[in-house]
Amino acid sequence: MQKTISRVNFEAVLANQQGQSRWPDGALVARISAGDDRALGELYDRHGGMAYALAVAIVAERADAEEVVADAFGQAWRTALQFDPGRGSVAAWLATITRTRALDLLRARGRRARALERAAQAGTNGLAAPLAEMAVAPDRGAEQQEAKRLVRHCLAELPEPQRRVIELAYFGGLTHTEIAAELQEPLGTIKTRIRAGMEQLRGLLAPLLSGEGS
Amino acid sequence: MTDHQWLELAASYALGALTADERAGFETHLAECATCRAEVQAYGEVTGLLVHAAPASAPPPELRERILREARRLRPLGRRRVPVVPWLAAAACFILALGLGYGYLRERAAGDQASRALATARDTLAAQDSLVATLLAPDVGSAALAGAGRPPSARLFWSPSRHRIVIAVYHLPPAAAGRTYQLWAIAQGKPVSLGIFNTAPDGRLTAAMVVPPDLKFEVTAVTDEPAGGSAQPTQQPFLIGKVTRAD
Repeated sequence: MQKTISRVNFEAVLANQQGQSRWPDGALVARISAGDDRALGELYDRHGGMAYALAVAIVAERADAEEVVADAFGQAWRTALQFDPGRGSVAAWLATITRTRALDLLRARGRRARALERAAQAGTNGLAAPLAEMAVAPDRGAEQQEAKRLVRHCLAELPEPQRRVIELAYFGGLTHTEIAAELQEPLGTIKTRIRAGMEQLRGLLAPLLSGEGS
Repeated sequence: MTDHQWLELAASYALGALTADERAGFETHLAECATCRAEVQAYGEVTGLLVHAAPASAPPPELRERILREARRLRPLGRRRVPVVPWLAAAACFILALGLGYGYLRERAAGDQASRALATARDTLAAQDSLVATLLAPDVGSAALAGAGRPPSARLFWSPSRHRIVIAVYHLPPAAAGRTYQLWAIAQGKPVSLGIFNTAPDGRLTAAMVVPPDLKFEVTAVTDEPAGGSAQPTQQPFLIGKVTRAD
């Protein structure tokens, strides 16, 4: 194997690179996979609020939510190597891990999802919080705030029965069969609602989706 | 089922709302249907955005320290320091070495709950798959990194399709206190960090790291940096090498 020995003048390159101190998410994950716990701290600072809010929405109890988030970041720490940037953002990866852990805990405890309780109350707005709540959300980053605003706005655009089944599936971890039993409606109706709701959301959220923005 | 009927399941699948039987059937179909895969990808992104619908809720301040404390007890799998044999035998060695790594992990986790050990085992197997798959990827390229012709040296394997590199380092004493080694890709003259690492007391290391997608590079280099790594190199590289592609 041919060895190439040359010198790159990093100092000269450095002169053009000042001010780029904020690591992108992907670089943080690369640092984590190399065992850098400071990078894990930074990742938590960026996405811990999102993960915790998601965990609370699913498991309801704050102590349980803490357990879920600690487990989720532990898993991210141990398996950073498996993160595949080609399959989605770091935030989406963390959200998936957190949701899976939260639903696992819910099932392990044999508890009904919080989303279920909410859905049982007639006339509820579901989990999509009132628009006024957004201004005080303590998340970092204008980008996250904008995504939050847009997603809630789009969910609010859906007919209430469609929004409810999507929330039951996402926050409650219920299959369409379980949703049908819970709401005492025909399975076909539930399937149609999920499909129609997701289709509409996909259209509304197109600006945030890769390859569908234009 | 007709293609049309399969397509109608894509949204429910992405949302996790299919029953176990339906899911198994749909996944079999997915393996051979690019249209459904694209639909699942798109609905997967929609599902991913639903996290933003959760009402804001601030975590308690002590949660951050708890996470870091637990992390320090259990290092990531990619960093496991394992013995290295000449690189031709590397693929076989990884399986063995990771097995040893798992034994070590299991010992560390002895006081933990059985479920945690089980999760670790799953993670280990997945990481092992990832390492081996990177080495065996059809598009894998490799680079020999060297300094002034004498030790230390390193060998690097890069699979662009899997966004992974595996690096094996030889004869490199562990970094000094408060320092770390950092691997860089030189992309169009600009260094991009691929990760930090340190060697074992015997001067060796095998590690896998994630490569940002779309990052094209031909040259990789290693520098000595302050602990935690640098956003840009602060030293001249002491190891440098050119990647030779498999094709």
